[in-house]
Amino acid sequence: MPPDPSRFERLALQHMGAAYNLAFWLVRSRNDAEDVVQEAFLRAFRAFDGFRGDDIKPWLLAIVRNTAYRWLAARRRSANVVSIDAALFADAEDDPPALQVASDAPNPEDLLLRAGERDGIDAAIAGLPPVFREVIVLREIDGLSYREIAEVTGAAIGTVMSRLSRARAELRKVLGGTLARGSSDAV
Amino acid sequence: MQCERVAELIGPYMDGELEADDRRFVAAHLDDCPECRRLLEDYRSVGRLVAARGHEPVPAGFAGRLSLALAREAAVRHAETGMPARTDVQMRRPDPASVDEPPVRLPRRLTSDRLPTGWKRWTALAAALVFACVLSATAASWLTERSNQVARLEQDLMSAHVRSQLQDLPYQVASADTHTVKPWLVGRVDFAPEVRDLAADGFTLLGGRLDYVGGRRVGVIVYKRRLHFIDVFVWPHGAGEPEAPSPAVVNGYNMILWTKAGFTYAAVSDMNGAELQQLQGLL
Repeated sequence: MPPDPSRFERLALQHMGAAYNLAFWLVRSRNDAEDVVQEAFLRAFRAFDGFRGDDIKPWLLAIVRNTAYRWLAARRRSANVVSIDAALFADAEDDPPALQVASDAPNPEDLLLRAGERDGIDAAIAGLPPVFREVIVLREIDGLSYREIAEVTGAAIGTVMSRLSRARAELRKVLGGTLARGSSDAV
Repeated sequence: MQCERVAELIGPYMDGELEADDRRFVAAHLDDCPECRRLLEDYRSVGRLVAARGHEPVPAGFAGRLSLALAREAAVRHAETGMPARTDVQMRRPDPASVDEPPVRLPRRLTSDRLPTGWKRWTALAAALVFACVLSATAASWLTERSNQVARLEQDLMSAHVRSQLQDLPYQVASADTHTVKPWLVGRVDFAPEVRDLAADGFTLLGGRLDYVGGRRVGVIVYKRRLHFIDVFVWPHGAGEPEAPSPAVVNGYNMILWTKAGFTYAAVSDMNGAELQQLQGLL
């Protein structure tokens, strides 16, 4: 029997904000993030029968994350692809070739996005490698526990811990001046 | 040096992820070491800055697009998994609300004490039997003919509904306004079906489209409830089409056919039968 769409929708749509945010920080494009979340939610919906747990959030975010990384890999591949034929005759098991072609050139909106974040917190997060970016976003924005972050990222808790430390140290270095003001306010 | 060890633990310390022993160790060190206190303060500031950034806002209309994509996926899966056997679906779904077909009535078992004993009675019985056979055969063929026609119609309706779910949009004119959908339909079919706004009852009017069912052009009014799309087909009543509301389940889709004011209506959806009946009652 196909899974009950209304039950899945009820559980999954409340995490749409977190899902979109994670996808956005990983693929760094609003359009792509939207596609990633949609693809991830459809994947999750198809696999929903197999979901046995009480909290859907880490499971759902893990699917979003995996989809985003597949997307990034496809975009990297397509960066070298010039001919449309090569994309069209790509391995059928892979992501749809149309997406590889489409994600090639940054659209005006994404260029604007990048111009707007030359400094400040956005630029600092964007400057981190994706594996650091995701842990800091999941921890500080979504408030996930280490165990949950480990579930989302498929890493051991110790790895989550060290990546988070590296991410914080890196952000502290980049944001140095901003932080001095922030901490003097706080103290 | 202690500070190196503390630098590793300070994140988990502020995140409340340390065991009691480590927590005490870090707390004690922080009391003595202004350098590590500054580190903790900086990490907290970093955390506040990132947290203040918040979720990247979801684009306008995204939730709706996501719902639509899920509904379409559900319809496709429904069509694929529901196809092989209709009884299958009912057997695996014991929910009474979703079972619309009346139970099959089995003939009562003949018992020997009811049978007449004399040969005259046997003759009478035989004659009655032959008469009954002829009668029932005639009735049966008439009924079969009629039910075949209805069954074909139901198959047609189910296919049209599934086909529409495979398209990008299950409607050609999108409007929640009955005064938009009705004129659009009237301009394209040779009759004027009624289009009702049922938003107050939880059925959102999405729009209308044309379809081809039972060898004729029909109007379709598309409603949505939660994730379910409901097609309401309408055309001028034809001979042999059900008059009283007659529910059916075809390949797992619920369907109700009925006649009202000279039109045959057919509501088709993957929504449960009880809610479909509610819609039928409103139209």
